[in-house]
Amino acid sequence: MRETWFLFRHFWKADVRAQHSVAGLVLFAIATVYAAYQVVQGRPEPETWNALAWIILLFTAFNGVSRTLEEDRTEVLAYLRTTVQPLHFMLARTLHNVVVLTGLACLVVFFMGLLLGWANLDGLRIAGFVGGMVLTAVALGTTLTLLALIAARAGAGFGMTAVLGLPLVLPVVLVSTTLGSELMSGVLLADTWHNFAFLGALAAGSGVFGAVLFPYLWRAS
Amino acid sequence: MKQSQEPTSRRVWAIRLVGLVLLSYTFFMTFTVPLGPGIEDVLVSRTELTAEGGVYEMEIVGHATHFATSEPRVFLRRGDNVMAATAVKAMDDTHVKCRVRLPKFVPAASFDVFINGKQDGTISYANGFFATGLEAVAKAKFPANEAVLANLERADLDFHFPFQPNIMESIRNLMLHVPMWFTMFLLMGISFAQSIRTLRVGGDLDRDQRAVSAVKVGLWFGVLGLLTGSLWARFTWGAWWVDDPQINGAFVTVMVYAGYLVLRGSIQDAKLRSRLSAVYNLFGFCLLVVLLMVLPRFTESLHPGKGGNPAFSSYDLDSALRAAFYPAVLGWMILGTWMYRLQLRIEQTRERIAEAQLTRSNMPLGLLLVTPASTSSLETVFMASGKMPVVVGVAVIILAGLGLWWVRTARMLQSLSEEENTLNGTHNA
Repeated sequence: MRETWFLFRHFWKADVRAQHSVAGLVLFAIATVYAAYQVVQGRPEPETWNALAWIILLFTAFNGVSRTLEEDRTEVLAYLRTTVQPLHFMLARTLHNVVVLTGLACLVVFFMGLLLGWANLDGLRIAGFVGGMVLTAVALGTTLTLLALIAARAGAGFGMTAVLGLPLVLPVVLVSTTLGSELMSGVLLADTWHNFAFLGALAAGSGVFGAVLFPYLWRAS
Repeated sequence: MKQSQEPTSRRVWAIRLVGLVLLSYTFFMTFTVPLGPGIEDVLVSRTELTAEGGVYEMEIVGHATHFATSEPRVFLRRGDNVMAATAVKAMDDTHVKCRVRLPKFVPAASFDVFINGKQDGTISYANGFFATGLEAVAKAKFPANEAVLANLERADLDFHFPFQPNIMESIRNLMLHVPMWFTMFLLMGISFAQSIRTLRVGGDLDRDQRAVSAVKVGLWFGVLGLLTGSLWARFTWGAWWVDDPQINGAFVTVMVYAGYLVLRGSIQDAKLRSRLSAVYNLFGFCLLVVLLMVLPRFTESLHPGKGGNPAFSSYDLDSALRAAFYPAVLGWMILGTWMYRLQLRIEQTRERIAEAQLTRSNMPLGLLLVTPASTSSLETVFMASGKMPVVVGVAVIILAGLGLWWVRTARMLQSLSEEENTLNGTHNA
């Protein structure tokens, strides 16, 4: 546990030290929302709003997980291989991705609300939508971390993560878009909680899967 | 260098022969077993409304029926309310004309149409008749008439496939379209098992070759399943692609396994490739199980046997479909594993050649896609004779797809073995 926490701080420090990495993600998220705002010219229909929000989150998430950290240099990884357990590395990496993606999800919703308005959402439903976004970010983080690591091991970058990941995150996307459109059409938060449960289950399932399979990627050759 | 392919044992050849026999039997059954009688359509040709009610003249179109010789009786029915039609006149074996007189207040707006006759027994068409111009009142009752339902004839039919409205003759696709997916599941399952064994020993090239061979053949079956399903959907649900959890799941699964091949293509180191792709394969198979076997049962689906839809087996009263379907699944699976062994041989020969430092050659796969010129003429062609052309189309797609595969494989095996022979020859000389 301490090892996981230490590694998480290690990744976090690497991010803070190389500010351009996180700043690039933030800028990408904001720029995408702004581009969407320009394309739809102001306040879109609720369905369009919903679709845009999830697509932007999806793209931001792919961008977020598939970047390489400064600390991903071969030498550093070779050192880590001899000192930490793969399970702890995987947990720390997943946690790091989840934290970054959660932040990005909040950012995306905030700018969506600022630029494109809140469509049909009001009060508690806005909170529900943000919660759904955050939970989706967690599920995407747990699923995509393993795939990004596979792509990184294969020596390929963003494109490979997208090819491998898009079909695999489709169940998550289906559940979260359903959640979004239900909230848009005025369903009470209490009547749509099962979607939150689905998202949580998907996140937990793919997290366990990643933790089980990652040690096989970890070996040097 | 590994030894050349060991000769295939007699037992394996016996199993393959059984597979071919099963497939021949399947094709024979698929195209020769007659379809049971059923009602294709109910047309109201004339409506006469008066103060007391209405008189409707109807023409009923049957499929594989024997109206001319069976002295048919026609009823409208909703719950306990039964109304017999009068002036029933069979025009020929598949057309019947009749007249029905209804009171002003009827128990429902629509009725199921029933026909009873000597050979066909009772056949029906749900909600085939709409009482236009009359008032539907829940309390209204037709006068009780015990005699209407007396002395009904019982069916006296040969071995036949069950008739389903709208599906009609295309129910035969059950033996062609569905086994494509079963075979794909089997092959992806083989691949899954081989991937687990690959990971257990931390990267194994032999197991990895087996895993990728199974995926390549399985993908072929998956694509054929999508193509045949698309044709069947067009003439059952009205569109080449419909929004259905089963179809979307199938499409995503095919994309996942295509991604698996892309991933393999991007890794040079064989051992690393075997491990990375095995990890992805395990992920992909779990998604296949969730998307194709779990999710469609919980969401509404147009597919029979899935959420809110009865399976074909519930209509298959004399097990005619089962008698053709189970052998079909077994036969296609045997063919699939045979193709898997051939693909494996290709992979192994390639590996040996690559080991002998010869450049590998990849044959591009050409897919022939035909876009229809005019939909309306397609309609007339495919809807004719109870959608039988849909079955023919599905069979043609499968035979052409698999034929393409076998020609490609035979050619590739030949060229690879020639390549290997020349290589060995130069080494020896």
